[in-house]
Amino acid sequence: MDVIPALDLLQGRAVRLERGDFTRVTSYGDPERVLDSLDVPRGSRLHVVDLEASRSGRPVETDIVRRLARRDLRVQTGGGIRSVADARSWIDCGAEKVVVGTVAADSPDVLRAIVADLGASRVIAAVDVRDGVVRVAGWERDAQRSLAEVLAVVAEAGIEEVLVTDIARDGVLCGPSFATYRALPPNLRVIASGGVTTVSDLVSLARISNVGGCVIGKALLDGRLSLAEARARVATPNAIPERVIPCLDVRDGRVVKGVNFVNIRDAGDPVECAARYEAEGADELVILDISATDAGRDTALESVRRVANALFIPLTVGGGVRSIEDFRALLRAGADRVAINTAAIRDPQLIADCAQEFGVQAVVLSCDARGREVMVRSGKEPTGIDAVEWCRRAEGLGAGEILLTSVDRDGTNSGFDIALLRAVSSAVKIGVIASGGAGALEHFRDAIESGGARAVLAASLFHDRRISIGEVKEFLAKEGIPVRR
Amino acid sequence: MEVTLIDSPVANVANIARALRAAGAGLRVTRDAAAIKAARKLVLPGVGSFAAAMSWLVENRIDSAIRDAVADGAALLGICVGHQLLFDVSHEMGTTPGLGLVRGEITKYGGPLPVPQIGWNRVTSRGPLVDGGVYYFVNSYAATSTPHEIARADYGGPFTAAVQNGRVFGVQFHPEKSSTAGLEVLRNFIAWT
Repeated sequence: MDVIPALDLLQGRAVRLERGDFTRVTSYGDPERVLDSLDVPRGSRLHVVDLEASRSGRPVETDIVRRLARRDLRVQTGGGIRSVADARSWIDCGAEKVVVGTVAADSPDVLRAIVADLGASRVIAAVDVRDGVVRVAGWERDAQRSLAEVLAVVAEAGIEEVLVTDIARDGVLCGPSFATYRALPPNLRVIASGGVTTVSDLVSLARISNVGGCVIGKALLDGRLSLAEARARVATPNAIPERVIPCLDVRDGRVVKGVNFVNIRDAGDPVECAARYEAEGADELVILDISATDAGRDTALESVRRVANALFIPLTVGGGVRSIEDFRALLRAGADRVAINTAAIRDPQLIADCAQEFGVQAVVLSCDARGREVMVRSGKEPTGIDAVEWCRRAEGLGAGEILLTSVDRDGTNSGFDIALLRAVSSAVKIGVIASGGAGALEHFRDAIESGGARAVLAASLFHDRRISIGEVKEFLAKEGIPVRR
Repeated sequence: MEVTLIDSPVANVANIARALRAAGAGLRVTRDAAAIKAARKLVLPGVGSFAAAMSWLVENRIDSAIRDAVADGAALLGICVGHQLLFDVSHEMGTTPGLGLVRGEITKYGGPLPVPQIGWNRVTSRGPLVDGGVYYFVNSYAATSTPHEIARADYGGPFTAAVQNGRVFGVQFHPEKSSTAGLEVLRNFIAWT
């Protein structure tokens, strides 16, 4: 997938409009200086929009486009192209391609004339969509045709690339509309636009088969991601499989499952469950000891030992870990990694001490959140601490991964808390395991695709055999998300 | 087939022992240099720091015991840091010479991804000791250029997932944590003639 930096021009400056609103302008200054600061390499594609032209219907920023094209950039430009002469004027300025919006939606005859003059390979059709409706004229009115009709016109004209912008998402940093792109015909070559704020968003887009490019503006201009890193990551979007992790909540040596951390139900012997999960394709196993007593915790340690002896996949254990000695005891019992929760809130240095003693890879921060507030003591006690701030701090102290549980969603089967996941995963570089709320196959996809999670965890769903690990993996693979099978 | 597992204190010996037994090995776990020198099939595990693992080998004369065994035709499997120890040199926290049984150097991942790598990764292989597939890795350092590479993977850039030089075999991943695919690698080593 091509990552294409975007510059919107207004009155000679690089700017961004919030949701296409000409009264909400952020200016980034001289366009060439902006390009220098972004380290856009020679030969790179560059997407340029003349905003004034898109509103007035007459090319305005031709001098700037001429300067940009001279910098050995492959410029695709548009805004207000209403005629063959408009399109020709951008090509005459040195642009490689023109981006045609309103006429593509409203005037098929003009579109065909532009294609006849320039050749189909020099024309990109731009379709701006809000709530499934095509918008035109600088997003200020609805188009005369539906999305399907516009796409049919574009295909018939022989145009290969379609720039699809989800206007509701553009410029507001809430993530791309993956569903919009996935719903488009598979034979289109889509350039996605709008809502990209993280490298994970780009990786998720690159996994959608008809998305061949992505335009990024605000996230790049605001320094939220670097072009070099983005391009390196999307080069191999499927190299690293995402993980599906069953969780065993163990109390007094038995697997149980709580709904919203209360109403505990018994679900069986941990060793039997663990072995079944590995056979079904679990990538890792998490055991959370929710015993309330010391005797219960000793029983849990024995359960960990028995489970570790039955498994050939990584084992993460958490619950009731209060000290470096507890941590060591669990590693000795066969855990590969240990999750710390309440004790780390009480004494954050515990994270650093364990990372120093046992290595970063052994330390998992388990963070329970209600909304964005960190909760401790099995999700019962509020702390007043922001989950994003806490996870970022834990990363700095040496946590190797974050197990992020939404207390609101846990046991409800209503879906992971995507906003929480997104907020945390975009604030840290280490992996985030999504936990709490899995109830349907789509939930697992959304946690990875939109939430930026590197692993998805469920407990009751797998125990109750409503969905199997194999089904989750098959679904993720079908949706283009790489899994181990 | 008897396998001699080197009982390094800088390793997760128990897990590897369990996996080797599950893969069908008769197992001797030892840190006795004479026993290691006389072994026909050796496994060198390792986790954590390269320098600590190497200095334990040197202090206990196990480095020369391993070299003697290999010179005498023994098969050797290095796992994770044990795999790295097979190389000429590592640049983890300074420069430390390794066993020199495989040509190349161990360097830190330089790509855009978070280090350490913790998780499953797809391996492409030139077989037959390692099948192409997905294996479990935990590492910050790896080889990127060696003439003895037999399998590779990508973590923000390509790296060596497995090496073979004569009877010396090494895997950067953890076969003991890689489920059935990992056990298959151990079975291949056990059956290797």
